[in-house]
Order: sequence, then C-alpha cells, then structure tokens
Amino acid sequence: MEDFEFLRNITIGQYLPGNSLAHRLDPRTKITVMLLMTLAITFNISYLSNIILLLVCLLFVLLSSISLKYILSGVKPALGFIIVLAILQLLFYGDAFVPYNTASRTIFRWGWIHITNGSVQLVIVSSLRFLELLFLTSLLTNTTTTSELAHGIEDMLSPFSKIGLPGHELSLVVTIALRFVPILAEQLEIIMKAQASRGADLGAKGKLQLIQTTRQVVVLVVPLFIDALRRAEDLILAMEARCYVGGRGRTRLSRLHLTGKDYGAMAVVLVFAVFMLAYRARFPF
Amino acid sequence: MNNREPIIQVNDLHHTYLRETPLEVTALRGVNMEIHAGEAVGIIGRTGAGKSTVVQHFNGLIRPRQPGRVIVYGHDMSDPNVDVRAIRQKVGLVFQYPEQQLFERLVGDDIAFGPRKLGLPFEEIRERVREAMEMVGLGFEEFKDRFTFSLSGGEMRKAAIAGVLALRPQVLILDESTSGVDPRGRKDLLSRIDYLHRHHGLTVIFVSPNMEDMAGLVERIYVMDGGRTVMSGSTREIFSQPEKLAEYGLGVPQVTEVMHELKARGEEVDTTVLTVAEAEEEIWKILNS
Repeated sequence: MEDFEFLRNITIGQYLPGNSLAHRLDPRTKITVMLLMTLAITFNISYLSNIILLLVCLLFVLLSSISLKYILSGVKPALGFIIVLAILQLLFYGDAFVPYNTASRTIFRWGWIHITNGSVQLVIVSSLRFLELLFLTSLLTNTTTTSELAHGIEDMLSPFSKIGLPGHELSLVVTIALRFVPILAEQLEIIMKAQASRGADLGAKGKLQLIQTTRQVVVLVVPLFIDALRRAEDLILAMEARCYVGGRGRTRLSRLHLTGKDYGAMAVVLVFAVFMLAYRARFPF
Repeated sequence: MNNREPIIQVNDLHHTYLRETPLEVTALRGVNMEIHAGEAVGIIGRTGAGKSTVVQHFNGLIRPRQPGRVIVYGHDMSDPNVDVRAIRQKVGLVFQYPEQQLFERLVGDDIAFGPRKLGLPFEEIRERVREAMEMVGLGFEEFKDRFTFSLSGGEMRKAAIAGVLALRPQVLILDESTSGVDPRGRKDLLSRIDYLHRHHGLTVIFVSPNMEDMAGLVERIYVMDGGRTVMSGSTREIFSQPEKLAEYGLGVPQVTEVMHELKARGEEVDTTVLTVAEAEEEIWKILNS
C-alpha cells in the first residue's frame, strides 16, 4: 500500500518544541558540541571507541525530551542506502582497510571478493557511525529552531568577516534551505496525490522498468521545480519589498547569551573529544 | 433521493496525520457519509474541519484505519489488495490549484497523460482529450498544441481539470478547485460542471468555502466541524438554519441572508431561497401585495 505522507519519515530538520536541557542550551554550544563529536566520530574506527561514542550520543538523547523511537524512525528512509553501502564495503574493501592493533586476516576470498576481519569491522563501525551522526544531527535540529540555528552560525562566523566571509548571508542561505525542506516535502506530497488521481501509478509494485520509472520522476520533478522557482521568486519580491539589505548594521530582537550551563557543556565535551582523538589508536579492540 | 446502494459509503471514519510522531494531528474523529450515483453533494466546514482529508479517502489516496470504513463502488478501501488505479479512474479528484500538476510541454499531451497510462489506442486517446477539452471549454484545435506554461491561470486550471475528466470518471470531486479563479472564470467553470452533472449523470462532490457556489450547484450538503459530520440535509434545509451554521463558523448565501433579515423585519417571505432569481421573485411578491 502506498503512503504519501513523507513527513512521517523525515525526522532530521523537524523542530520539536520542548524545555529540556538540550532545548535551553545556546545554539552556538550545540553547534560546537556537534562539531567536536563529529570530529571524534570520524577519527575513531575501533569497536570500543564507537560503542563509547554511541553511548554518549544516547546520553545526549536522554538529556533532550525527544523520544528515541522518533529519532530511530529517521533511519527508515536511508535503510536501503546503508545496506547497499554495507554490502559493497564487506565484499570489496578487504584490502583497503587494516584495523589497528591486529593483523589482517582473510575470512573469505573468491575472485574479486575478499572479505577480511578489516572489512567486517568497517561495516559494523560504519553502521555505528551512521547511528551516532543521525542522533547528533537529529538532536541539533529537533531542539533548535531554524532562526536560532541561523543566529548561532552567523555569530560563529562573525570573526571571519574581517577576511571578507559573508557570515550573515551564509547563515541566511542555510536558514532558507532548511525552511524550504518541509515546504517542498509537503508540495511533493500534493503533486504525487494529484498525479496519482489522474492515473499515474506511483508506488505501484512490480515492473522495474527504467524508462517508466524515469517518466514517473518527470511527472513529479517538473511541477516541483516550477513550484520551487516560483516560491523563490516570491521570497525575493517579499524581501525586496521590505528593503532587505543583508546583515550590516542590523540589530536583533533576541540576543544570544552563553550561560554557565553552556560553558560547562562545551568544556565536558571538549575534554571528552580530545581524549577520544588522542587515544584513538590505543583502544584494545 | 433514491434507495439504491450508495456508491461511496463512509462509516465512523477517523484519521490522524503524522501518526506515531510527536507532531501528530487528528483530522477526523468520526465521519459518516453516503453518496449515491448521480447526486451533487456539497461538503462545507471551516478550515481544518477535515473536508480535504475525507475526500482523499474516496479515491484511495488515504486509506481508512480501524474502526473506520470506506466503501467505494463495493470495494472496502482498507483492503490493501484493492485495485486503487481502477477506483481512481472512476473517482476523479481535482485539488486546490490543480494547475500545479501540469508538466507536459503541450496542453494536449498533458491532458492525454491519464488516458495514455490506461494504455488506450491513439485514436481513443485523441477522442478523450477532445471530449475533455470541450467539456471544460478549451477548443481542441485551438489549444491542443499551445505551450502549457503560456496559458493564463484560468486556462491552466481548465486544462488541469480536463486532465482528470479525460479518464471519464463517474464521480468528480472538486476540492476547492474553483478558488483563486476570477469570478467570471469561476462561474463559467461551475456552469460547465453543472451541465455535466445534469446531462451526463456525473456524480459531483463539491468542497468549497463559497456558499453562493454551493447553493447554485449541489442538491445535498454535509456540514463538517472538528473532524465530524455535524449536519446533513438538502441544500435548502441546511441553509434555512443560519443560527446553527453560525455555531460552526459558517454562513448562508447572501440572498438567503437577506430573506432571513426581511422575515425578521416582519415581511412574509420564503427564507429557503438560494439564488438571486428566486429572491427577486419573492421580493416582487411582497411589493405587489
């Protein structure tokens, strides 16, 4: 049975109002924490370190009021992609990756296919990393409104304005992009329903014919692009009509303030991330 | 009203959007409706009353969940094996701003999308496109080779409706499909749909916030509020209860309101009039007496 309700599956980028610790932290703190954790995750490839990182990410989830079930449901749309990636890594990455502290052992070899303990580790660690990153990005966007996020990015980029980096404009681009995701998802849903109402067999099972599938995409993409361009044009007009000129000399209604909680959170995560990075080669397995 | 089996039957329908997420919204909390072949039925209610959600159940865009039941042409829509494409061919649904669904370069090709999907022979497709275009008032020879996106807003709207009519549906659902069109274009469109209803036996389900349009087109009305059907009856019955409608944030056609006002001032008039012509007759009656 086809289901046209996409927003049920898109959990990243959806702000959920609340009053938990994660909601109250300054957006700059949350972005810093996210960056530090992402660094730690990308440089750690051992089983133990990734289990620790996953537990820490789970702890973050507990500190927010977001339900774990909701965040995990965000895996669903990406599941096919993850499985394909895992199979490719398992079969073809045997020679490319040698884990720390252990010698490479061949588990299975047949023609091009070469499975080693290294490729098994790569698959498992990649899946763990995916979960960790999903938790982090979901948490950041679920507990922070887009305007908070934009202010945070703008503030963090402001030191670079001396070398000509347009911080305000960049943060505006990010805000608009994020804001348009749910709008376009909703629009796509309406277009899919309209096309299905006049005979398009969207979501119909069976024949996997490339040409037919491509035509199905045209039926959706053309109206969606027209709509997106029209919305962009409307937005430009609306901004022009209000004499929008960018960030220079602009003041804000709500100013960001770092509190003791923010400094505490950043310090704890900084120590943790430095530890994980410094000891990344010394985990026993 | 006839006593035959209804073609669409809705029993105790409930629906929740974004179910099982923190953002879930309950749209329907118990809807009951029956639609018979050849009727013109209106659904009114303020924004968020659940009108669009209900009609999307009629062609299987949303499937009913327990305990709700939707039976369309004898098929229980909760059955995952129902051939929804066959149902959608019989029950055509036109959305608000249907011109957003256009995608082909030429008008004729766009209208032919549905019939082509049915795998019909070329001549048959051409015939259906011609018929559908004439129905909405777009000349076949004049418009079939025009660029879709060079049409005016009203013409695009007509082309989009023709795209649904080309499937030769037995039921046509218009979900606020006339909003945003200029008054003359809207009147033209409505009179064409009225013609299809009267002369081709098309069953029409009309969702509109405009009470005047409603009064001119439909025979029967369902009033929805807070996801429930709260009133139902003939158009005259419904519009003769302005106080009750006001409770649900709804009004009556302006001419009907005038008649209620006259009656309140002690004039002996019929308050069930729905159109300007009927009102004129009533007012002449008072003036002549």
